[in-house]
Amino acid sequence: MEMPEDSTTRRTVLKGAGMAGVTGLTASLAGCTGGENGTDVDGADELADEVPEIHLVAPTAGANPFRNELASAIEENWEEIGFEVNLENLQFNAHVDTVVVEQDYDASLLGWGGTPERIDPHTFIYDMHHSDNTQQGGRNTPGWEHDEYDELAELQVTQPDREERQQTVYDAQEIIAENQPRTYIANEGGYHPYASARVENVDPTLGEGLNSFWNMISATPIDDDDTVRFGYPSEIISLNPMQDLATPDRQFVRLIYDQLFRIGRDGIPEPWLVTGEPEIEDGGMTYTVELRDDLTFHDGEDLTVDDVEFTYELYADSPTYGGLVEVIDEVDTAGNEITFHLEEEFAPFTANVLGQVYIFPEHVWGDVEPEELTDFEDENWTGSGPFQFRDWERQAELQLEAFDDHFETPNADQFIRIPGEDTSQLVNDLEAGQIDMVGAVPQPTAVDRARDDDDLDLAEFNAVGYAMIEYNTRREPFDDVAVRRALSYGVPKEEYVEFIRDGMGTVTHTTISEHNEFWHNPDVEEFTEDLDAAREELADAGYGWDDDNRLHYGAE
Amino acid sequence: MGLRAYVVRRVLQLIVTFWAFFTLLFVLFRMMPGDPTSMFIMDGMTPEQREQRIAELGLDQPLYVQYVEYLQQLLTGDFGQSFIYNDPVIDIITVRFMNTIVLMGTALVIAYVIGIAFGALMGWWRDSRFERGGIIVTLMARSSPEFWVGIVLLSVFVFWLGWFPSSGMRTTGGELGGGFVARYGSLDFLHHLFLPALTGAIVYLATPTLLMRSTMLDVLNADFIEIKKAEGLPERTVLYKHAARNSILPIVTVAAIATGAAMGGSVVIETVFNWPGMGREMVSAVNQNDYPLAMAAFFLMGSVVIIMNFVADLLYVYLDPRVEYE
Repeated sequence: MEMPEDSTTRRTVLKGAGMAGVTGLTASLAGCTGGENGTDVDGADELADEVPEIHLVAPTAGANPFRNELASAIEENWEEIGFEVNLENLQFNAHVDTVVVEQDYDASLLGWGGTPERIDPHTFIYDMHHSDNTQQGGRNTPGWEHDEYDELAELQVTQPDREERQQTVYDAQEIIAENQPRTYIANEGGYHPYASARVENVDPTLGEGLNSFWNMISATPIDDDDTVRFGYPSEIISLNPMQDLATPDRQFVRLIYDQLFRIGRDGIPEPWLVTGEPEIEDGGMTYTVELRDDLTFHDGEDLTVDDVEFTYELYADSPTYGGLVEVIDEVDTAGNEITFHLEEEFAPFTANVLGQVYIFPEHVWGDVEPEELTDFEDENWTGSGPFQFRDWERQAELQLEAFDDHFETPNADQFIRIPGEDTSQLVNDLEAGQIDMVGAVPQPTAVDRARDDDDLDLAEFNAVGYAMIEYNTRREPFDDVAVRRALSYGVPKEEYVEFIRDGMGTVTHTTISEHNEFWHNPDVEEFTEDLDAAREELADAGYGWDDDNRLHYGAE
Repeated sequence: MGLRAYVVRRVLQLIVTFWAFFTLLFVLFRMMPGDPTSMFIMDGMTPEQREQRIAELGLDQPLYVQYVEYLQQLLTGDFGQSFIYNDPVIDIITVRFMNTIVLMGTALVIAYVIGIAFGALMGWWRDSRFERGGIIVTLMARSSPEFWVGIVLLSVFVFWLGWFPSSGMRTTGGELGGGFVARYGSLDFLHHLFLPALTGAIVYLATPTLLMRSTMLDVLNADFIEIKKAEGLPERTVLYKHAARNSILPIVTVAAIATGAAMGGSVVIETVFNWPGMGREMVSAVNQNDYPLAMAAFFLMGSVVIIMNFVADLLYVYLDPRVEYE
């Protein structure tokens, strides 16, 4: 459902509010209140063709109400700067297909999620910005290519020393900020509501809030009730770790299956099935870990180094996840020790490989052919994680129970996942006492209701991922860095966080969230809403305006 | 034309309708932007993984090949595998379809039983305060959107009185699965069924009530009612045995068609009450570009409409010999 009229009205109101109260915003709105051309900036005297219309793809109000509203604000600002904007609102799948796969767009407003495995900067620095990843469906959707940057993105992979790698990641962020292949808008943190009258010890963590692994094993039912009921606005697809999984699936698969390392509350990988940090030798080419000796699978069989070795071979053969372990050349075992020999240096190895590969029981998966992995149905989903599978009826409930033989027994005896129709329906259920937690951010009105309800509380969390505008640098005029910088000045980041999201989240100017403290560079060039600065960028680059305030290329 | 020829012709029409319906569905879904891998891309699926998955699903084949293959599959009664869940579509859909049928069936039965009785009385007591009040109430029910009725019932019975659960089909944490009786026979289930079924009943109540009232008015003006009254029969006997029974014919056909329509109308009720039914599955299948699942869901729902129309036609011929076959 789209309500363009409504959102325009709301924006006008918001602007009024901004004028009245918020100083930061009053300054940034100056551009909108100027005279005919809104500015004193003069562009080129001799004009050539009009700069082509911008095809801006954004979510529908149903797909993401906040970003939908932001898109209208951006459209308005860009037109003020002198661009012609054609705003198209699409459902999520269609949006991803048009922009990320087909790359048939000029600018696109989309979010990039910040799961724990993305706290290591590799995904944000290499996958999203290196020129190797510009193909259809690749992470570098803007198609941005920058030789100096590529060198830094490659260098950080080979630096096992954290301080050295940090400097490289800092430098990389500076180049990104100068070049603005994307406008980095805001880390969309927020609130996940829960029933403080029924559960305690909730543990919302960076990037995930109540969806975090640590929360699910920590949450404790109050009274004699031994169950935590967790609501999420969509059903999960599968518990088979070998299937293509979306984030909500992984959040439950990892309760049932263990990894050698887990990403800790602070984003740093912690030893989990192993006794300590890996011993890194040969200049970062081998990693050795020692397996704990108190591990069993849910069916009572011991978890041994043979299962670990089997698992890494299974992954190597897997059509879905082979890529995850392709950096491994060979796996050796000796006693309780496992040694990974790498093909090449890979600094994020602990976080992104040891922290992501689920350990499988060889006695269950041993005979499954690689091409059958994704279809294999282990009826009991036997893993070794802190929760074990009990039963599941799709669209109704998924039942897990505590695995008492685990070294980190969870606090709830039963954990039930209930897929809701949408977040507001789940907040109803929370108020009615039918569920105990919601792993999604509700609308501001529902947040207020939860705040006022004595039985409910809000778990606040910060985000690692962000909302962004991506520019298709394969096309004119987005191949010109001045145009991208000017457009970035047209994005009302503060208004988005303060008013549209009602204060949830933080403005960002770089690809690494400020909440990811170690890797975040706080000194990059910042782009806040400033339409005069936008026009200056364009004028300096030789663009000019006609009498209707329409942007043209300069004649020279 | 005789009855048999008429039925044969209607059956042939039915087959053509099904084919056209199926083809339209196929084309519409394939024209939709996005594909079943889209939802994984932002979660980290690489371009290589994506291509491989597309090939696995056969989506790299030309459209006509996919069409012919799917048609052949369907003719053998096989709905195929869900692209997203990797499970046979029939397994996913059967339970969901039953949940919807139980919910909407209950709603329709309540609506038609109450509607017929209410409409008959409104016709009988013409020009009374009862009739005028009844018409207003009925029209209000008829013009209330389903989601609104649902939300009003929720705020009264759940949030204010606290008598009923806000959503779902049973209390969570119990035994799952079980047979038909275990699923739909328990008090807990009826407790959860009450509000959504009532919502449906209120929404569907108006049609039988108003139709019954107006047919009653026609019948009551007929001579034979006067004769029955003159025979000295008690008023109740005339009302039930003669007037109401003769007014019920149009209701039968409308009920058949309404059953079909109700299967589609359930999406809204299922959404408000988080009922694990067909409507929700359909919406999520469409959003995820899960073509086999979405097509099977639409196909089933559409089939109910088509078949119920067919049944209504046949019933009409059977019940009222004056209807011509043409």
